[in-house]
Amino acid sequence: MRSKKKLRGWVIGYLFILPSIIGFSVFVAYPLLSSVYYSLTEWSGYDKPRFVGFANFNYMFNVDPAFWPSVRATFYFVLLSVPSSLILGLGLAMLLNRSLPGIKWFRTIFYLPTVVPSIATLTLWLFIYQPQYGLANSLLRMAGLPEGTWLTSEMTALPSIVLIGLWQVGAGMIIFLSGLQSVPQELYEAAEVDGAARWRVALNITIPMITPILFLQLILGIIGAFQAFNQVQVLTGGGPNFSTSLLNFKIYTDAFNGRMFGYAIAEVWVLFLIIMIFTAVTYRYSNRFVYYESDNSR
Amino acid sequence: MTAEQGIAAGPRKAKYTGLDAVRFVVLSAGAVAMLFPLLWMLTIALKSNNEVFAMPPEWFPKEMQWSNFVTGTKEINFWQTFGNSMFIAVTCTVGQVISSVLVGYGLGRLNFPGRRLWFSLFVGSLMLPGFVGMIPMFHLFTGLGWYDSWLPIIVPAFFGNPTFSFLFVQYLKTISVSFDEAAKIDGASDWYVLTKVLVPMAMPVIVTMVIFSFQGAWNQYLEPLIYIISPEKWTLSIAMASYKGTYATAWNLFMAADLIYILPMLLIFFFGQKFFMQGLGSVNSASLK
Repeated sequence: MRSKKKLRGWVIGYLFILPSIIGFSVFVAYPLLSSVYYSLTEWSGYDKPRFVGFANFNYMFNVDPAFWPSVRATFYFVLLSVPSSLILGLGLAMLLNRSLPGIKWFRTIFYLPTVVPSIATLTLWLFIYQPQYGLANSLLRMAGLPEGTWLTSEMTALPSIVLIGLWQVGAGMIIFLSGLQSVPQELYEAAEVDGAARWRVALNITIPMITPILFLQLILGIIGAFQAFNQVQVLTGGGPNFSTSLLNFKIYTDAFNGRMFGYAIAEVWVLFLIIMIFTAVTYRYSNRFVYYESDNSR
Repeated sequence: MTAEQGIAAGPRKAKYTGLDAVRFVVLSAGAVAMLFPLLWMLTIALKSNNEVFAMPPEWFPKEMQWSNFVTGTKEINFWQTFGNSMFIAVTCTVGQVISSVLVGYGLGRLNFPGRRLWFSLFVGSLMLPGFVGMIPMFHLFTGLGWYDSWLPIIVPAFFGNPTFSFLFVQYLKTISVSFDEAAKIDGASDWYVLTKVLVPMAMPVIVTMVIFSFQGAWNQYLEPLIYIISPEKWTLSIAMASYKGTYATAWNLFMAADLIYILPMLLIFFFGQKFFMQGLGSVNSASLK
């Protein structure tokens, strides 16, 4: 009687999580495992995949003229966008943490750009960067400064894309802000009693206390930046001269325009490995600076 | 920090110093920079086309061209596309929230062998880059005859969203198990406990899930781009990205249409601001545990 009831409980438990079990199996496990095989095939998506061993990887590393420029652009993008949005987000959050007249308005305004849908943002900035009538050059001309080349030159195209991301720094800012608000007040009060200067309080209390959030945002930021796609698809199409050809965009074009499914999946795996290595290295080094309140064993 | 707490006005009683004045100036300058692109967009949407391309630039429209919102949406079949996006976003939201709540209850409140394993698998899958499955899924869905339909976008939404399930599990931790036990002693089923006892108490986190789910579905671009070919089935994300070229000579019409695309998100933001902040707060508390 008792074990029957227990069994019934187990069945009910599995029924509740069934949607995610199916979702995980069909949308995560199946594509992940099957793509290991597909990466070793030549496959257009129409015909049957034909096993070719490591030919895709050989082509990628040694022949494909667009591969290494794409890797370069992707790394450049990650190194430019992740630290800048972390620092700006944290800085803004610290400025917005203490009370000030109109503080709620400030918080709302800085968060506002992040609710604008991605494609609306990108099309808007496409017009902002338009050389002749766009906002960016109009402002520069008005200030008597030389015009910018923005998306049209190899040098400035990628930084211009990063700048759009900084317009939406509010997403990170709000997470840091709610982290700052959860720092125990006693710490600040103790520092005040000791007469500590404000910058010391920031350096020795605030920042250590939110390192777990900083760390999580760093990891998520890296994973997200490696997967950037919309910007390139809408703004530049990878140009000029591959300078904005991020890997995820190259994967998309190889798969759906070039109809090289097998090759694109091989590229997916390379990008995936790069992300894993980056994440693992970050994880390893962050152990030194991340402070966990509940963990005394470290 | 519990999920109920939003973001308070500031940690300490105000007593402003010279440093705060500097802070105010810096923040004001930043706020202007943040708002500028949106205001520029609005002024263009209200200008006549001659004014858009006037040299030197005219910052404000001489006469508000409200008709841009009508003309801008007429030519590109905007309202049908808007309807498509709305239908997809609402359906995905319903599917994601319901399935995630069910899974969250199973993981957070029920005991069965393998619970921990599944929990870590679901949460671990969040770390997997989304594009890993893109091509095999494309092959699977086209094999099912779902190409050029909304099914590849809508159907997966009904199979749980790990982030939302995780949020729900975290929120359930703040609700005492004695509520469940009391109801179960009275003979209530798990279904009853979830729908009649816990869901009403978890409304804040559910509203947060609804907002983020809708936002995600309204914004998504890659899936519609891959799967939907016929223009009459397009979503707004695809339409606006495609018409940027068509409207290269009529910025005012494009900006007017783009603003209407943004509008639902702005409305949700202004009416649900509290829930945006709360949701992010609970993401945070999760990362701190």
